[in-house]
Amino acid sequence: MKTLPLIIFSIAVLAQWAAPLSQIWTYEKVLAKGTLIKLKCTAPDPYDPLRGRYLAVRPNQREAPVPAGMELKQDTQVYAVLTTGADGFATITSLSLTPPASGDYVRVKSRYVFNEKALIDWPFDRFYVNEKLAPEADKWFAENIRSVQGITAEVRVFNGRAVLEDLSLDGKPFREILKARLK
Amino acid sequence: MNTSHQRWLLEQLPQWEREGLLTADAARTLRERNAVDDSQPGLAQIVMGALGALLIGTGLITVIGYNWDDFSRPVRLLFASLPLLITQIFSFRELQRGAASTAWVRETAALLQALATGACIAIVSQIYNLGGDWPDFLFWWLLLSLPLVWVLRSHAAAIFYLIGIAVWSVNQAEHWDAWYHSALLYPVLLLGLAPFWPGWPLRWQLGRSLQRVGTLSLCAGLAAAADSSVSLRMHSSYVAFGSLVWLWTLTASALLLLPFKADASSDKRRLYPHVTVSGFILLALSFATSFSDFSCGTLSKLEMVLTMPWAWGCLTLVGLFALPAIRQQRWALLGVSSLSLSPLLALLAGSRAEPILPWLMTLHLLGLGILLIVLELAGRRGSPRLGATLICVLIIARMFESEFSLLIKGLVFIAVGVAFLAFNILMSRQLKKKQAATV
Repeated sequence: MKTLPLIIFSIAVLAQWAAPLSQIWTYEKVLAKGTLIKLKCTAPDPYDPLRGRYLAVRPNQREAPVPAGMELKQDTQVYAVLTTGADGFATITSLSLTPPASGDYVRVKSRYVFNEKALIDWPFDRFYVNEKLAPEADKWFAENIRSVQGITAEVRVFNGRAVLEDLSLDGKPFREILKARLK
Repeated sequence: MNTSHQRWLLEQLPQWEREGLLTADAARTLRERNAVDDSQPGLAQIVMGALGALLIGTGLITVIGYNWDDFSRPVRLLFASLPLLITQIFSFRELQRGAASTAWVRETAALLQALATGACIAIVSQIYNLGGDWPDFLFWWLLLSLPLVWVLRSHAAAIFYLIGIAVWSVNQAEHWDAWYHSALLYPVLLLGLAPFWPGWPLRWQLGRSLQRVGTLSLCAGLAAAADSSVSLRMHSSYVAFGSLVWLWTLTASALLLLPFKADASSDKRRLYPHVTVSGFILLALSFATSFSDFSCGTLSKLEMVLTMPWAWGCLTLVGLFALPAIRQQRWALLGVSSLSLSPLLALLAGSRAEPILPWLMTLHLLGLGILLIVLELAGRRGSPRLGATLICVLIIARMFESEFSLLIKGLVFIAVGVAFLAFNILMSRQLKKKQAATV
């Protein structure tokens, strides 16, 4: 067997493993070491042809205050400082161009600035669900969209990265509620 | 003559030799001239291998899409990794077999591994509920699959890559934040296939299917790249169509003249789809420019477009590619390619360019039509029927624009129709005479 094709093939194989493994490494670390924060959100039910059904998760907070003197260009990555309120829900209280020295923060994309507020894109926007649960999730969502409690996104954050761990309603995990409804 | 015809001929030769229809020398010459390269897979092999791999790959992605809620995260990660590992081992086995490996198995191995790579990335992002846009996913998937094209010499993986980079480029056409996020990356991505067909002009004859897919990919990718070059210049995703017309014309010109290794025994137009497709685009855009409404839009943006690197790059390529075309006396191609220069000539007229361009283009197209006929009559490679069609269409278009009465227009149409049919009959007779003389 020729050496050059073997070398190229080995590099390709390594690269093919590096891509998923680096993701696994990064997000496992977030899940293991990250702080759990809760965000109020909405979640309709679309479909991804490659990855199946998911709930499109949209945290209620879409705007964040821009500190005085900070100039933000369109589509810039910034660090959003998260503060948990008395109700247990986290909100973005400030934006920073560099990672804050302490506290919980998450890297977000700032779309544009208007009236000293930046429209932001959260680093997560979907929660994948099993095909069997998806139609029930849709119904559940329609019934609870206007409830006082609202749907809560449970997110782990660590070093600016975030992983959406679960969705819940009134403290109960989303999957458990759906499974109970299906019984 | 395509491969299946050549195979049929090679099968008949022993019989013809036995019957005394051919001498041994003549049979040997025919064998040498029509040798079939069995190392290159045929279309049927690619299709069968690709279909099998696609079905398995799609099944895999669908199974993943089901989202196995009852399994833990490590088990689901194992689901993602196992197909990749298995397909990598399969490809490695094929690589080890080297020349003994069958073409269709090699094709299947490469495509399966490419699909498993995509499925693995997709399931990992599903498990961690990651967002992300499909163009980013496609981009990395294509890059990770590219080495399989070189190493396993897979036509199916090359076709997958060509389609993928075209789709990605069309989607990124109006991105203007950075060139490396835009469709301007298409030529660089295309260069990634260079190790698959090394040498210039191409050392190997590409299969018909690859030529066709390559042509479509080139047309879509380069058109998107031209669009991106304007978007980046204007700092806007909105691009006026008028600013793209000449850039597309120029790009099609460069593509039309792209030098390939000449194959004397074949009809070049049939062999190289890029000539047919880019020639058609060039003629269609030039014909549209012969209408004043359309040419106004093109001219209004031409000065701005002329300052863009994409335009100068294409002009340089047209110049460079024209040299071998002149040496090979490909006058018909040079004639069609020259259509992109008419707007530049009109620009020299300054403020009078606007009324001049439609007429200049009409004259250019008329001249081209005559050239295509004359070349054939002079015994060179022309295209008399295309030339006659061009002239007819031009007359019809100008008559529609004119202020003549319906009676005159009708009579002209009848006269043109009769002349066209008479010309067609004349050319058919000439062709029959030529064929009879050859026999």
